[in-house]
Amino acid sequence: MIEFRNIHKAFGENKVLKGINCTIPTGSVTVIVGPSGSGKTTLLRSVNFLERADSGEIILDDIHLDVEKATKADIHKIRQRTAMVFQMYNLFKNKTALENIIEGLAIVRKVPKAAAKEKALYFLEKVGLGHKADAYPHELSGGQQQRIGIARALALNPDVILFDEPTSALDPELVGEVLEVMKKVAQEVNCTLVVVTHEIAFAREVADHVIFMDGGVIVEQGPPQEILNNPKEDRTKQFLSRYISLIEYNI
Amino acid sequence: MNNILEFSFMWDTFIHLLQFIPVTLFLAIISMILASIIGLASAIVQLRNIPILKQIATVYLLIGRAVPTMVMLYIVYFGLPILLLVFTDKTGIDTGYQHIPPMVFAIAGLTVHTGAYLTEIFRAAILSIDKGQMEAALSVGMTWFQGFYRIIFRQAALVAVPLLANQFLGLIKSTSIVFTITVIELLGGAKIASVETYRYLETYLVVAIMYWSISIVFEKLFLLAEQKLGIFKKEANI
Repeated sequence: MIEFRNIHKAFGENKVLKGINCTIPTGSVTVIVGPSGSGKTTLLRSVNFLERADSGEIILDDIHLDVEKATKADIHKIRQRTAMVFQMYNLFKNKTALENIIEGLAIVRKVPKAAAKEKALYFLEKVGLGHKADAYPHELSGGQQQRIGIARALALNPDVILFDEPTSALDPELVGEVLEVMKKVAQEVNCTLVVVTHEIAFAREVADHVIFMDGGVIVEQGPPQEILNNPKEDRTKQFLSRYISLIEYNI
Repeated sequence: MNNILEFSFMWDTFIHLLQFIPVTLFLAIISMILASIIGLASAIVQLRNIPILKQIATVYLLIGRAVPTMVMLYIVYFGLPILLLVFTDKTGIDTGYQHIPPMVFAIAGLTVHTGAYLTEIFRAAILSIDKGQMEAALSVGMTWFQGFYRIIFRQAALVAVPLLANQFLGLIKSTSIVFTITVIELLGGAKIASVETYRYLETYLVVAIMYWSISIVFEKLFLLAEQKLGIFKKEANI
C-alpha cells in the first residue's frame, strides 16, 4: 500500500502539487492520467524521492515518512523497496542488456554473481529479449530498451513499480510491444503498479484504479469504468472527450 | 665544425640524455595521478554543492588556473618550507623540511597547477552524462556513490580521456621548467650538457625529438584507453 497524505510540492513559484491525498492498495494497478503539467509525474517521482516533496507524508506499507524529516537512510530504504521505469528508458549506457539487470541484483541486493545472472536472463526471456543479452542500449530500439527497463525493475522483486510515461517517447509502432509486456506484468506479478500514462485504452483494460489529476490536485478517482466512461467532473469529461468520441466513432 | 649539424654528437647526446627520461616521466605521471585525484574530488565537491568544501574548491580553481606554472613552482618551492617551519615552531613537531628533496616541491607545484585544470575537465565530463543515468541508479536502490562510481564515472571517463590526454601532454612539457628549482630532468640535463660543448642547436634538437617521441607514445596510449573505455558507445559519424 502506498498512501499520500497532504503532499505539497513547488518548483520555485510554480506550485505543482497542492495537497495530494490518496491511497493505492497493495497489488493493484493504478493508472494516473491527466493533462501535461498536472503534476502526475512529480507525484510518482516523489514516491522514491527522485523529486522530494516539500511537505506531507508518504507511507509505503511499514515505512512511514514525513517528507520534511526523511533522512538519507529512510530514502535509501524506500528506494530499495521500489523500482522505476522511465520515459526515456534510462538504461545504463555502459552496460549490456544483461548487465543492466544484474547491476541492481548484484550491487544492491547482494545476490551472488551466478545467481544474479541466471535471474537476469530469466527476466530478459520474460520480456522476450533473451537473444539480446549482450547488446548495449545503443544497439537496441526504443521498445526493446523499454522492455529491458521493465525487466530491470521486475528482477528486483520490488513492492512497487513506478512507470513514468513508459510509452511516451516511443514510435507509435513500438508502443504496442511495451504495453503488451506491461499487461503481462500486471497479470502475472503481484506487486503494486503505479502507471502514469496517456494510454487511456491501457488504463481501461488493465487498471484497477484510475486517478485523474489536473492542476496539482486529484480531480477524480475510482474504478476505470466509472472514471473513464462516466466521469462526474467537468474537467475529466473535457479531458476525456477526445478519447470518448473516438470510441463513439468506432461504434 | 664544418657541418651545421654534427650527427655523431647528436647521437652521443641522445644516449647521454636517455638517463633523464625517467625523471621527466616520473614527474609527469606522479603529478598527473595526484592531480586527477584532486581534480575529481573538487569537481564532485562543486557538482554536489557541498558547503565550505565548495568554496575551497572555487578558490583553488581561481588560483590554480590563474598563476603561471613557473610562478606556482616558485611559490611552492619557497613558500612550503616556510609554512613547514612555522608549523614546526608552533607545534614542536619536526617536519624535517630542510631535507625534503626539490623533486617533492616540483611534483607539488605541477600537481596544484594541473589539478585545477582537471577539475574543469572532470566537471564538464560528468555534466555531459544524462541525469537520467543517476536517477536510474538511485531507482534500483544504489547509493549516490555506487551510482557515481559504477555508472556515471565510467561514462564520464570516456568523455574525459581526450581532454586528459591533452592535459597530460601539456604536463610532460611543463616538467621542462622544474630545472628552475634545481630538479634535473630532460631539459635541465640538456642545458648542462650543452654548456660543456657549446653545441646548443644540436642538443635542443635532440631534446625536441625526445619530447616528441614521448608525446607520441602517450598519445597512442590514450587513444587505446579511449577505445577500450568506449566499447559500449556507438561510433559517431559526423
